[in-house]
Amino acid sequence: MSVVPAPAAGRFVGQSVHRVEDERILTGRGRYVNDIVLPRMAHAVFVRSTLAHARIRSIDTERALAVPGVVAVITGEELAATTAPMQIAAPLPNYLRPVFHPLAVGKVLHVGDPVALVVAESRYAAEDGRDAVEVDYEPLEPVASIEHARDAARPLLFEDVDSNVIYTEAMQFGDPDAAFAGARVVRETFRPQRVTQVPMEGRGGVADYDPGTGQLTYHAANQAPHSLRMNLAGVLQLPADKVRVLIPDIGGAFGQKAGLFREDVAVCAAAKQLGRPLKWVDDRVENMTSSTHAREEVVEAAAAVADDGTILGLDVTMTLDQGAYPLLPFPSPLFAWIVRTMIAGPYRIGSLRWSLSVVTTNKASYGAYRGPWAVESLVREVLVDRIARELSIDPAEVRRRNLVTADEQPRKMLSGPTLEGVTSRESLERALELVDYEGFRAEQARAREQGRLLGLGISTYIEPAPGPPDYWSSIGFPISGERAWAKLEPDGRLTVITTQAPHGQGHETTIAQIAAGEFGVPLDHVRVVYGDTSVVPFSMLGTGGSRAATMASGAALHATRAVKQKVLRLAGGMLEIAPDDLEIVDARVTAKGAPAKSLALAEVAAAAYFAPQPGEEPDLRSSAFFTEPRGGWSGGTHVCLVEVDAETGLVRIPRYLVVEDCGALINPAIVDGQIRGGVAQGIGLALLENALYDEDGNFLASTFMDYLVPSAMEIPPIEIEHLESAAFDEVAFRGVGEGGAIAAPPAVVNAVADALGGAAVTQLPLTPERVLELLDATRAA
Amino acid sequence: MSVEVRLTVNGAERSAAVDPRRTLADFLREDLGLTGTHVSCEHGVCGSCTVLVDGASARSCLMLAAQASGCEVTTIEGLARNGALHPLQEAFRDAHAFQCGFCTPGFAMTALELLREVPRPSEAEVREAIGGNLCRCTGYESIVRGILLAAERGAGGGGS
Repeated sequence: MSVVPAPAAGRFVGQSVHRVEDERILTGRGRYVNDIVLPRMAHAVFVRSTLAHARIRSIDTERALAVPGVVAVITGEELAATTAPMQIAAPLPNYLRPVFHPLAVGKVLHVGDPVALVVAESRYAAEDGRDAVEVDYEPLEPVASIEHARDAARPLLFEDVDSNVIYTEAMQFGDPDAAFAGARVVRETFRPQRVTQVPMEGRGGVADYDPGTGQLTYHAANQAPHSLRMNLAGVLQLPADKVRVLIPDIGGAFGQKAGLFREDVAVCAAAKQLGRPLKWVDDRVENMTSSTHAREEVVEAAAAVADDGTILGLDVTMTLDQGAYPLLPFPSPLFAWIVRTMIAGPYRIGSLRWSLSVVTTNKASYGAYRGPWAVESLVREVLVDRIARELSIDPAEVRRRNLVTADEQPRKMLSGPTLEGVTSRESLERALELVDYEGFRAEQARAREQGRLLGLGISTYIEPAPGPPDYWSSIGFPISGERAWAKLEPDGRLTVITTQAPHGQGHETTIAQIAAGEFGVPLDHVRVVYGDTSVVPFSMLGTGGSRAATMASGAALHATRAVKQKVLRLAGGMLEIAPDDLEIVDARVTAKGAPAKSLALAEVAAAAYFAPQPGEEPDLRSSAFFTEPRGGWSGGTHVCLVEVDAETGLVRIPRYLVVEDCGALINPAIVDGQIRGGVAQGIGLALLENALYDEDGNFLASTFMDYLVPSAMEIPPIEIEHLESAAFDEVAFRGVGEGGAIAAPPAVVNAVADALGGAAVTQLPLTPERVLELLDATRAA
Repeated sequence: MSVEVRLTVNGAERSAAVDPRRTLADFLREDLGLTGTHVSCEHGVCGSCTVLVDGASARSCLMLAAQASGCEVTTIEGLARNGALHPLQEAFRDAHAFQCGFCTPGFAMTALELLREVPRPSEAEVREAIGGNLCRCTGYESIVRGILLAAERGAGGGGS
C-alpha cells in the first residue's frame, strides 16, 4: 500500500457552508428555461401520436393554420428535408442502428411520438392549433413488450433494420462451466418495472437563430451542453462554431436531460426557418409519456454456490427494452455493459457467464436514470438473500463470506476494473452495529408471534464515482479526465470555469469551496462559471456519473493552484521577494512570517492587466486536465426496516440507515442531500412507481394520479454515517450522486421479502396487491 | 374575448384584461413577470405552483386568473422585504433544504400557511402539511428540518 497523501483541505472543505444557489432559488429568482422570454419569441407545441404503431396516411393542417395566433405548422416530411438523418454514431458490430428524423416520417412508433410542430404567438394558441391538426393513421400491430419484440410474426419497427432484436452479445469471464459443474444453483428471473425520472421541471428549450450571423443559440435544460451543441450542429447541418448552447437553472434531471431530443432538433430547425426565437416546454403528460423511460430490464440470474454460501459463479442473461427511438448520443447497450462490468460488485465472484439482448418496442426511448446500471445491485443483493434463505445461513453472514476485504485489495474485478480502497465489508459491519442486528432479529421473532410482520433488508454496493483509471475502458466507453480553467479578474477575484452542468448538486458552491481554500480568499471572492459552450471547456458528459466530487474538484484545484503560482511569481517581482516565500491569505499576497510586506490581489491583478511588463505573463489564467486517481469507488451498506400490514399489504418504513464511504466530504449537507434524494427515488421505485404500457402499447401512467411519486408521507428520515476512508490522491472526495438510487431498491425488496418469511420478489413495484399475493403464496407454501 | 381582473399581488394592486381561460399561474408568470411560481404538472398534484390566495394555499395551475379577481395573492417574491430574507427563507438556507429549486416556491408558500396556523408543528404535522408538495431531489428530510427550524425561530408570526 503506497503512502496516502494528505487530503486537500483548505478552510472551506468539510463545512456545510450556505449554498450560493440559494440566494436566487429561495427568493423565486432562479431562471429556468420556461422563464426565458426573448423579443418576438413564439411558442412551439408538438402534435403527438395517440397510437403506439401506425402508418401516417395524411396530415391536414388547414384548420390548425386558421386558428388565431398560429404562425406555422411543420410536418415530419418538411423537417426531414432540412435536417440530416438521425442515427446513433458509434458503429458497433452487430448493433442495428435505424435512421430516424426529428418528427415522425411515414410511421409513428410510440404513443406520444411527435408528428408535427405547431408554432403560435402564445402557448394557448399553439395548443389550440395542435388540437386542430388532423392526422389520419392506419393502425399497425403493436410491438408492446419484450415478448412481442422477439416474435418474428410481429411487424418490424424500422424499415432499414431487419429485426426488433437490435443487439446481442455473449461472453464469459473466468470458468463458469467449472463453477457450475455439480454446484448447487440458486436462480431467479427479475422483472423490474419501467419507470421514468420525473424531474419536477420537464424538458424544454428556447432556440434563437440570428440570420445575420448564421448563429444559433439554444437555451436548453440539458446536463451535457457541449454534447448537445455538437449533436445539434450535426443534425441541423450547421458548423459547430455557429451553434451555442446555454444552460439556465435546471429543475432536476436525474439523467433525463443528457441527450439530444428530437424535439430539440425540431424547435431549432423551426426557429431557423421562421427567423424568430422559439420556445418549447413539455407539459407533465408529455414528460411522462415521451421524454425517457428507464429500468425495464429482464434479468435471469443464477448463482453457483458452495454449501457455505460462497458464490462460485454467476450466469446472467439480460434483456433491455430500449423503446422505439434511440436517444442520441448513447447506444443503449452501453448501459447494459455497465451492468456486466458491475454485477459482481464488491464481492469475490470467481466467474461470470453473460448474455445480453436489446430489443426495440413501440415505447418511449430508454434513457439514463440515476445509476442506469442499478439492476446489477438489485439482482445481486436479492440473489444473495435468496442464497441465504435456501442455505439457511444468515444474510449478513453470506455477505461476510463473499465480500472482498481490505487485505485483498488492490484486486481486479472479473470484468476488468481494479477494486482498491473499497470498504464494503467495514460498511456492512458498521451498519449492522448501528441497526442492532441481533436485537432486531429478537424483536422480529417476538413480533411474529403477535402476528406483526417486521423485516430487515441489507444492500451492499459500490459505484464508480468516478471509478478507477481502468473503469471506463472496461465498459468500452473511453472517456476520462476533466478540464477546468481559472483566472484572476482585474479586481483580484477568482473565476473558475467548469465543464459541470449542475441541476441541484450545488457545484457553484462546492467548486468555490475548493478554489477559495486553495487560493486563499474568502468564499465570495470566487465565482464559478458553467453552462455556456462559448465559455466553458469541452466535455462529452457535463454533469452525470457521480464524477464531479472528484473530477470537477480535482480540475478546479489544479487550475487554481496554477493561477496561484503565476500570481506569486508576479507578486514576487513586485515585492522583490522569492515566490516560495509568499502566500495568499484573505485575498492578500503576504510574505510568510512577515505580514507587513503584502499586496492586495487587486493590486497584483492591476499590474498584470494594466501594466504588463515584457517577458511577464499578461493573463493570470491557467487550465488543468485532471485524470482519475486510483481507487475511485464509493459505496456502502444500506439497511431498511419495514413493517408489512398483513391486512392491507401496505409497507411502512420505520427506519432506514446508510453507511456510506465516499471519502472526504466537501460540503456534508450537500452530500447527505444527494444520498437522501437517491434513496427516496429508490423507495419510490420499490413500492410505488410504474411507467406502465398495456398490451396495445397504450401508456397508462401519464399523470401523477397514475404514476405515484413518493411524498413526505412515504419517505422516512434516513440516517447516514460516513466512513470517509483515506484516498490515493489529495483530491480525496468521491462522488455519491447515484448510490442512493442504486442501493435502496434491493434494501427495500429484501426487507419486504424478509417480513414475508422469504418471499420471492421478482416484480416491482411492491404495491399492496402484490404484497398480499406474495403473503398468500408464502402462507400456502 | 377578455375579462377584466383586478387583484392585489404581493401588496401591489394589479389589473389586466385577460383571456378567461388564462390560469392564475400563467397570469402571474407571464403577465406580471413573477416567474418564481413554477408550473410542473398542471393537474393539481405536485404543488409547485402553490401561492396564497387570501392567505390560503391554492394551486395556481388550477385557478383561473379571473377567479382571483378581488383577492390578495402572495407569491414567493412577496416574502423577502427590502432585500432581507424572510425567516422561513433563512431557515431553508440554513437547513440546506433544497437542491434544484423548482419545487421550492410551492413548498415555501405551503410552509408559510402551516406556520401561520400552527406556529410550532410536530414533525408528523409538517410531513402531513407538505404531503401535497412533491420534491424529486431531496427526499424531504431537509425540507422538514427547514420548516421545523423556521418554526423554532417564530417564522409563522409577523409578516403577512
